[in-house]
Amino acid sequence: MSRDALMAIAAAREINDGEVAFIGTGLPMVAAYLAKATHAPTVTLVFESGIIDPAPLELATGVGEYRLAYGATAIRGTRAALTLLQQGKVDLGFLGTAEIDAYGNLNSTTIGDYRRPKVRLPGSGGANDIASMAARTVVIARTGRRRFVEKLNYLTTPGHLTGPGARRQAGLPGDGPIRVITDMGVLGFDPVTLRMRIERLFPGFTPDQIQAEIGFQLEDPGEIVMESAPDAMTLELLRRIDPAETYVKLQEK
Amino acid sequence: MKDKRISLEEAIALVPDGCSLTAGGFAHSHQPLGFLRALIAAGRQNLSIMGVAECWVAEWLAAAGMLDKAWFSNFMFEGFGRCRRFSEGIEAGRIATEDHSHFGMVMRLVAGAERLPFMPMLSEGGTDIASTAGIERPEDKLRIVESPFGGGERVAVTSPLRPDVAIIHAARADASGNVQLDGATAVLEEQAAAARTVIVTVEEIVEAGEIAANPAATLIPGLYVDALVHLPYGAWPTGMYGYHDPDMDFLGSYYEASRDPASCTKWIDEHLRGPVDHWDWLDRAGVARLLALRTDPVLGYRPAEDAA
Repeated sequence: MSRDALMAIAAAREINDGEVAFIGTGLPMVAAYLAKATHAPTVTLVFESGIIDPAPLELATGVGEYRLAYGATAIRGTRAALTLLQQGKVDLGFLGTAEIDAYGNLNSTTIGDYRRPKVRLPGSGGANDIASMAARTVVIARTGRRRFVEKLNYLTTPGHLTGPGARRQAGLPGDGPIRVITDMGVLGFDPVTLRMRIERLFPGFTPDQIQAEIGFQLEDPGEIVMESAPDAMTLELLRRIDPAETYVKLQEK
Repeated sequence: MKDKRISLEEAIALVPDGCSLTAGGFAHSHQPLGFLRALIAAGRQNLSIMGVAECWVAEWLAAAGMLDKAWFSNFMFEGFGRCRRFSEGIEAGRIATEDHSHFGMVMRLVAGAERLPFMPMLSEGGTDIASTAGIERPEDKLRIVESPFGGGERVAVTSPLRPDVAIIHAARADASGNVQLDGATAVLEEQAAAARTVIVTVEEIVEAGEIAANPAATLIPGLYVDALVHLPYGAWPTGMYGYHDPDMDFLGSYYEASRDPASCTKWIDEHLRGPVDHWDWLDRAGVARLLALRTDPVLGYRPAEDAA
């Protein structure tokens, strides 16, 4: 079973028909076009490069790529695209990360001291803006104790910050992350503590297996949903959207 | 309006040692690399960059040892990975940084462009972007304030940035520097309005009437532009929407060389410092290579079967 496919399908499920979704490069692009081809044909996709609602004939390898601009209904500047977030026009944004903590805060800036880092990462880009201002966000992150950490090296992108009430105090309009899609299952957030817990498991995985790959204690789950294997038609759609398997490999190595 | 056309050499002279630059472009598109190559060949030191997505400009300035400081939001190479010389320069303490989100960086340029002491915005709050000292003290970059109009709404305000020089590559302009560009424009308007000096290089210089025939397409009016240089393929090896795709093989050859500082320096010396002028830079690439990158006018890119 391909974990990529399960992650892309889980990400597509987060997109509702009629919504506006802010999409970055990678697996979210495949998920967005899967949602558009299935349950969300009228979703409007927006990209930080300023491309609005395109109809690309081929999968783009970046948000600034000319392939992505084909069929766009509007092309604006980066400011206009990001202002859509501030205006409350964006329902959903996807985020990736190098590190994530229990509140869904993310680091994509540095490992080690800020001024003399051990590893300098690319920086926020639009991630902080999406996480601050989209109505809700979904994080996509493979499990691993170096990624899911108790304490971030640097807080680039806000999740629930220090817990209930912290986002409003910091002047952030959006509600923050609602899900974290991993390669073993889907995590959510405890409604009281806003710390992470398991919501759904991909076929063959157990709660203990996920906890073992996460560097902080997950909250007690509510009812856990067992995910079923994807059907042949969904896999065929993924194959058509990403024929070169650039972002979604259909066979596990 | 005044004729803004000057030579590339005259335009290079407008960029002194120690100045701050902002450059156009996004990902592998419309970065002013023809101008940058000539600047690197001419040699400058202690430069700063105030940028949003001009990753190739930041990386090549770092690789040439010309970059001291970076105010920025994200520099990485889509499809390749991190900007190695830029990142390693930060790790070694040679390049000082001030981090932002894209919107935060754009709003600082907007504050500079609008000549306002700050701009309110709703991102960056609550994070280490807001609280970590980089080049500036955190409170000099961003503060969370209550609305002065009551109601208790909390909002971030960010201070202005005004780069000394903006370098922009665009599609076409008339002699007065009224600039048009097709495709996604990124942050060009804000950069041009924020910078103290604006240098534009273009694929084509056209008659004034051609710009006036479609004035709504003018992205940067000539009154913002100080210098205009006719520089065909001025974005190469990044792409230019409506003209050519990015040259991923050439960009990839740099990325491969950048794995190691010595091979990177060799690449910079050969490819950026070696050519005697812009035409030699293009001659070395070769006309067949450059023409093969031309995009399909309907699709806006080179379809996969042609590229193969």
